[in-house]
Formats: sequence, C-alpha cells, structure tokens
Amino acid sequence: MNPAAGFAALAAVCTATLLIGVYGLRISRTTGDFYVASRTVPPWWNASAIGGEYLSAASFLGVAGLILVTGLQGLWFPIGYTAGYLMLLLFVAAPLRRSGAYTIPDFAAARLDSRPARLVTSAVVVVVGWLYIVPQLHGAALTVRITTGLPGWAGAAVVVLVVLCSVVTGGMRSITFVQAFQFWLKLTALAVPLFFILLLLGAGSRPITDGGAAFQADGGGPVYPTISLLVALLFGTLGLPHVLVRFYTNPNGPAARRTTLIVLGLLSVFYLFPTVYGVLGRVYTPDLAAAGQADATVLLLPGRLIGGASGDLLTALVTAGAFAAFLSTTSGLVVSLAGVVSQDLFRGSVSGFRWAAVLSALVPLAVALSTESLALAGTVGTVFAFTASTICPLLLLGIWWRGLTAAGAIAGMLTGAALCGGAILLAATLGGALGPFRELLEAPAAWSVPAAFLTTIVVSRATADRRPASASRMMARLHAPERS
Amino acid sequence: MNQEPLTPGWAPADPPAPGPQRVRVTGPRSGTGYSPARFSVSRELDEQSEVGELFIRSLIRSQLRLALVVAGGFGAVVLGVLLLVLLLPGNGVALWTVPLPWLLLGLGIYPVVLGCAGLYLRAAARNERRFRDLVSESEG
Repeated sequence: MNPAAGFAALAAVCTATLLIGVYGLRISRTTGDFYVASRTVPPWWNASAIGGEYLSAASFLGVAGLILVTGLQGLWFPIGYTAGYLMLLLFVAAPLRRSGAYTIPDFAAARLDSRPARLVTSAVVVVVGWLYIVPQLHGAALTVRITTGLPGWAGAAVVVLVVLCSVVTGGMRSITFVQAFQFWLKLTALAVPLFFILLLLGAGSRPITDGGAAFQADGGGPVYPTISLLVALLFGTLGLPHVLVRFYTNPNGPAARRTTLIVLGLLSVFYLFPTVYGVLGRVYTPDLAAAGQADATVLLLPGRLIGGASGDLLTALVTAGAFAAFLSTTSGLVVSLAGVVSQDLFRGSVSGFRWAAVLSALVPLAVALSTESLALAGTVGTVFAFTASTICPLLLLGIWWRGLTAAGAIAGMLTGAALCGGAILLAATLGGALGPFRELLEAPAAWSVPAAFLTTIVVSRATADRRPASASRMMARLHAPERS
Repeated sequence: MNQEPLTPGWAPADPPAPGPQRVRVTGPRSGTGYSPARFSVSRELDEQSEVGELFIRSLIRSQLRLALVVAGGFGAVVLGVLLLVLLLPGNGVALWTVPLPWLLLGLGIYPVVLGCAGLYLRAAARNERRFRDLVSESEG
C-alpha cells in the first residue's frame, strides 16, 4: 500500500476538522453556545451530528472485522447499536431533554436533590467516557500503522491533539458542525469504495459471495453471549455520556424525539456498508482473521481488490472515514466528560472546561499507549455492558419511578460497577481457568444489569422516607409536554 | 499607618480598560438549584394542585405503558429472529445466495426498528395532546 495515500487522508481530515472548528468558533458567543450549542440545532443537523458521534471505531472498522471472524454472530452488533437508540427514544429522549440538566450528573443532582448522588454519577460517567475513548485510540493506532507505516502511538497522539484543538477552541457549537460533517464523510468513505468494488467484481464476473460460501462455516452462535450482548447494547446506549448531551441541543422534547427517529434511519443505512465489507472480506481477505488483523478489513479491502492509483485513492478515502470516526467519537466524549469534570472540579467556567478537556483526553491516551488493542467491537461491547449496569438504572428509574432515592441510586450504581467491572477483570485475568463460568463473566450484562436494577429498587424502598421532596415537581417537569 | 497588602492578589484592581467590556461567561448550573429551561404546562402544575398531580400521573402511566408495549413488541421480534436463526441455521432458503438468517439479521430487523420508532412517536404525541386538552379544559 502507498503510504502517501494514508498521509494525505490523515492531513485532509485533520485540516477539515480544525477548519470547521475554527469557523464554528466565530459563531460561538455565549456559555450556552459553548456547552450545548444554545439548544438551537435543527433536527437534521443534530441527527447527523449524533450519527457522526455515535459511529465510532467499533462501527467503522470493528463490525466488518467481527463479521469476517465470526460470521453471522457479528451481525448482532450493529443491530444492538441501532436498537439501543430505539430504547433511548422510548424511555429517555424527551424527558431528559425537558429535565433542563446538561449532563447526567446534573440530571442526578436535580432529580435526587443530592450532592453524593451527583458525585458518584460523575465518577461513573468519567470512567465510562475514558473506557470508551481507549478503543478509539487503539483504532487510530491500527489505522496509522497499516496505512502510513508510522508507529501506532502517532495515530493515537494525532487524534488527541486534533480533538483538543477543536474542543478547546470551539466547544459544542463547532463540534456539532464538525460531527455532522464527519457522519457524511464516514458514509461516503464506505459507500464510494464499495460501489467501485462491486462494479469491478461485477464487470469481471468475479464472485461477490463466492456462491454463498461466504455465509458458510458458522451456525447461529452461542445463545448466552448473544443475549448478554443485546442486553448490554440495548441498555448501554441509554447511558453513554456523549450521546445524552446531544439531546440538550434540541429545542424541545418533540424535536428530541424527531431527531432520534432520523438518527435511527441514518444508522440503519450506515450499517449496511460495514456488513457488506465483512462479507467481501470473508471471500477476499480471510487471511486477516488468522493474522489477528480483522479490524483492518475495511482499510485493506479496496487496495487488495482495486490495485494501482485508483486503489490508493479509495484507500485514502476509507482511511479518511476511519479517522473521522475516531475524531468524532473522541471529541464528543471529551466534550461531555469535560462538561462533567469542569462542573465538579472547576465550577463550570469556560477556562475550567478547557482544562477539564485536556484532562479528559490525556488520561485515556496514557491508557491506550500502555495497552494492546483487542478486537474493537468486543472492547466497545464491554464498555456498553458497564454503562448498562451503572447509568441505565439511574436514568430509567429516575425518569419513570417516583420512588427512587439518592441512596438507592448510589447503591445501584456501585453494585453494577462492582459486579460488571469485577466480572470483566476476573475473566481477563483468569481466562480459561474459569471453565464453564467464563462465558458468564466475559459477558456479564445479562445478570449484572438486573442486579443493579434490583439493588436500586430495594435500597430505594428501604429508604422511602428519604424520597426527595421535589420528586413530584421533577416528574411533572420531565413529562409535561411543552405548550404547542 | 500605611499598610502593605498581604498578598499581591489583594491589591485593588486596575481601572477597567477602555473599549468594549469583556464579559465573563460562567456555567450557570453548579449545585442543584439551577434554573430550568422553559417548561410551561408543568409551571401551572407546579403549585401541586391535586387535579394537576392526577393528570401528570396518568400521563406518565400512559407514556410508560406505551414505551413498554413498543419495547416488548420489538423484544419479541428480536427473540423470535434469534430462535429462528438458532433452530434453522441452514435451511436452504436464500436470495441471491444470501441465506435467510443473514437477510433477517443484516437487513430485516432495521425496518422493524424504524417502524417501532414511528409508531411510538405518533402515539406519544397523541398522549401529550390529550394531556394538554385535559389541562386546558380544567383551566377553562
């Protein structure tokens, strides 16, 4: 592969991101602009931005890699990612928009009227955000190593640098533009090369599915991990900090719902493409699975099938799309983490927000540089399991159940974090020694999420005399529709 | 007695520089007592009239029931597809060499997601409209 193509793609995406960020800076005037774009972003822009932010390394590279390795089983990932958004629409979108809070800890504080609940929520949100940034940086390292030949750490460092530049200067307003742009870039970067690949294969009468052989060699897959994965993805999406903050950029509850519907459409269309890449990979690049490089399928396929200069050009486009994925998800996470950290540490000033952004990006960079990349989609699935076990009970019960108390919420979050985090660490350290329990511990969501819910409810009931006095008023605010 | 300030930070501020005033913007929202975004109908219910409380409770119940029904329906579809895929992995049904399980998981579920979302949006808006009508009736 021609490294020049990789360098050119990298430079182009980074420059475009920074330029749009600077352009956004000029129309970013107030604190409201800076944090949440003053809540005036129209649904289409906002939906593109949400899509841009949500489609991370796991979606752009990981899904195709997973389909290459596991076949049919891999298809459950994009389904879970999309259906997670449906759950968000059903249970969270409009009430959360009406809550008037900017971040999940703000919501916890307002709903439960409790400073400890706020602090625990902040800590959980920061952990989730950091865990989620790490695979993005792993993806960047992989992409840079494969397309330019540079050492992997350079890719992670470039992503962090560009994100910090655009976040520190522009805040949320410019991020909205940047991410809307990046969604369409990602879609184009997968669609155009795929179009030419299919055209070429069709013209040369080369097999696309190898007469169905691409779909062979796998059954339905194991039952328990699939169910646990679905639980994690369906309930984990609710609690992703960078996804939630986006809903505050809608002008009102109905607009928040409309935005979610558009996002669902965009996601459904998008996931078609990594799926086809994965199927083609099963025919043309099966060697990647054996080499442990399955996540590179999307990057390598255009070059392998279409050689020469046009192959380089298409590879450059895919590389650009991959970088857009790392940049947009990372910047979305950094913005929302910085919002949380600056609230609790720096009292919410804009300069505090900037310092918090630096802190939020450098910690995961350090973690990413000191760890090895695993399968991207799998790592992200683990983060979803953790989110579903901690933030999801707080949000769902906080929105729909008057009886939630601060003690219940804290107990639930800590239980979920301990169970889910403990299980994953245990599975990672003991591995094969666990025997039949390994499956249960590697994919803990199916039992850790119900356990967290149960703890929250039981403790809330036990402390029912300490229900916040403002609960009724908050419930009214969350659910009463805006005057139309 | 002429006393020096203890630290430089205590020195009186310089007179403001000429030109446009620099406005310091800060987060309006630390602590729990931030002022919320505009919310209107709930403002009237804020004073906790018993009727208002009743309306809100019934609105929340109907919205929750709606969300649970849609989520349950979707869950049933997913579970059905999961079982189908497990029980009939290679039953030979295929479209352009793509077997049925791949079609269901790769294509078929997405329209179901969108359909559920569309149904929910319409029904949720209807619930809210009914609530608004109730409130304005009880006011008028």
